[in-house]
Amino acid sequence: MIETVARVESNIEVAPGFRLLTLSFDRAINPEVGQFAMMKPSGCLEPLLRRALAVYRVERPDKLSFLYQVLGRGTQALSLAVAGSMVDTLVPLGNGWPTQSLTSSGRAIVVAGGIGSASVLMLCERLKRQGVDTRVFFGAANSDVALGCGLEDFKELALPLTVTTDDGSLGERGFVTAPLERHLQAGDGAGATIYTCGPWAMMSRVAELAARFDVRCYASLEAPMGCGFGVCVGCVVAVKTDGGSDYGSYKRVCTDGSIFPAEQVRWEVNAMGH
Amino acid sequence: MGNIVNHDPRLAVEIAGIRFNNPVIGASGTFGYGLEFAELIDLNRLGGFSTKGLSARPLAGNPPPRIVETHGGMLNAIGLQNVGARAFIEEKLPLLRRFDTRVIANVFGYSDDEYLEAITILNDGEGIDAYELNISCPNVKEGGIVIGNSPTAAARLTEKAKRASTRPLIVKLSPNVTDIAELGRAVAGAGADCLSLINTVVGMSIDVETKRPRLSYGTGGLSGPAIKPIAVRMVYEVAAAVAVPLIGIGGIASATDAMEFILAGATAVQVGTANYYDPTVTIKIVEGLSAYCDTLAVERIASLVRAASPGN
Repeated sequence: MIETVARVESNIEVAPGFRLLTLSFDRAINPEVGQFAMMKPSGCLEPLLRRALAVYRVERPDKLSFLYQVLGRGTQALSLAVAGSMVDTLVPLGNGWPTQSLTSSGRAIVVAGGIGSASVLMLCERLKRQGVDTRVFFGAANSDVALGCGLEDFKELALPLTVTTDDGSLGERGFVTAPLERHLQAGDGAGATIYTCGPWAMMSRVAELAARFDVRCYASLEAPMGCGFGVCVGCVVAVKTDGGSDYGSYKRVCTDGSIFPAEQVRWEVNAMGH
Repeated sequence: MGNIVNHDPRLAVEIAGIRFNNPVIGASGTFGYGLEFAELIDLNRLGGFSTKGLSARPLAGNPPPRIVETHGGMLNAIGLQNVGARAFIEEKLPLLRRFDTRVIANVFGYSDDEYLEAITILNDGEGIDAYELNISCPNVKEGGIVIGNSPTAAARLTEKAKRASTRPLIVKLSPNVTDIAELGRAVAGAGADCLSLINTVVGMSIDVETKRPRLSYGTGGLSGPAIKPIAVRMVYEVAAAVAVPLIGIGGIASATDAMEFILAGATAVQVGTANYYDPTVTIKIVEGLSAYCDTLAVERIASLVRAASPGN
């Protein structure tokens, strides 16, 4: 975990409302796949809190890029950061995707929804490099959003890829969990590990399918974060406990996660609050 | 860990017989158990820090969502999730003893007896410099603010806590009262060695789409720069009402902010929410206070406590 001021190399709009921010650092960062950073433009007084962005790509050990959707005040402030300007950054954070147990004989299913894709591109690259039999399910609201969420980068990986859009403007019409369910129903998920990142409702459904088909599943969660390094205890998710004491029924998304075994999460308690 | 730090002697302050190398203290609830910051700053350079509120038994806290950002601040309703006093002594304190910084144990309970139980457990811990009695947390339904809203109840608990405690007692005041000076007088009269103020200001934010409060608890405590003028005013008022030293808290994010509190009547300050968006802010404030002393030829920062008062 390093607290530093990074320099904006570029901050390009990749589709309306979606941008790719590339930051250079004064030292090597070497994040694990699935880790994130807390950041806001240096000198920015409002909003107060930094925003959590997943590391999209490691361009060089000291140069990272972040794909993000401009949604609220924090990402709007970031969207205005021009090349050469500075960004206060705490990085790398979170536990990263557990891929160690997967070998070339293993199988993986990656399910990305919306900008949740930003957390799994490097995971897909890693799985491919490890020779893991990997299939990607990529869902977005429409074709523009799919492009904003990095669809072209996923296509370049040349992994088996199923695309869905809510409005049918690209790929299959409907939610990404529909083709996932068919895939699992056909028995094609046997022995696989599912990795998912996306909207809460989508991940909740993926977790349900994983449980039904008895497939191991990890989910990268999102929650409003105060600090990103465990002290504010604001970004908690409700988890299942062994009973007994209530203590331990909430875990911090930032330091206990952001990636959790899906069966640990109490999906009926939405950590995002909507 | 054992870094030799050249402290600026002009910044040293004393509270209830405890010497702080400087008046900058990490605020309870925003500084974890201190150790979380060891990777980011040199804890030896801090005046001290106050722990996350410790209860006799571990607490789970409130369901999410627990925080929401507002203009110039944030609302939180964490609900005092903490490891418990016993685990703090066994797991955190041994690691903290390696640092030369003052450790204040913030104490919480749902009843007078639970506060005393937590203090009794913590009395066994080696390396705690003082207790801070949290009678002002707005995010739990019993204890905390229920006691802190009533000068009588606050004084009663202060008196019992002082008797149970083997260490200096700081009492943390709530701003959610009609007359904070009256509350301060009651608590100081009951034996508090120091008052810290303010805790968060009760607020609410509503999601206009779901038509529900954004926090699961409903209300939350407002913190950050937005509350600073309220806090400065309250420190100024309480300083005029009591003789014990004060620790100023509320939206401090720079040395200038810290100086406002000192001039209003605080001997030291606690830095809270700013730690979230700049984990190194406490060290920057220490450096800024030295720079302030240089610029204005201040020999001892303690000489400026309450300098803004008309009598000074």
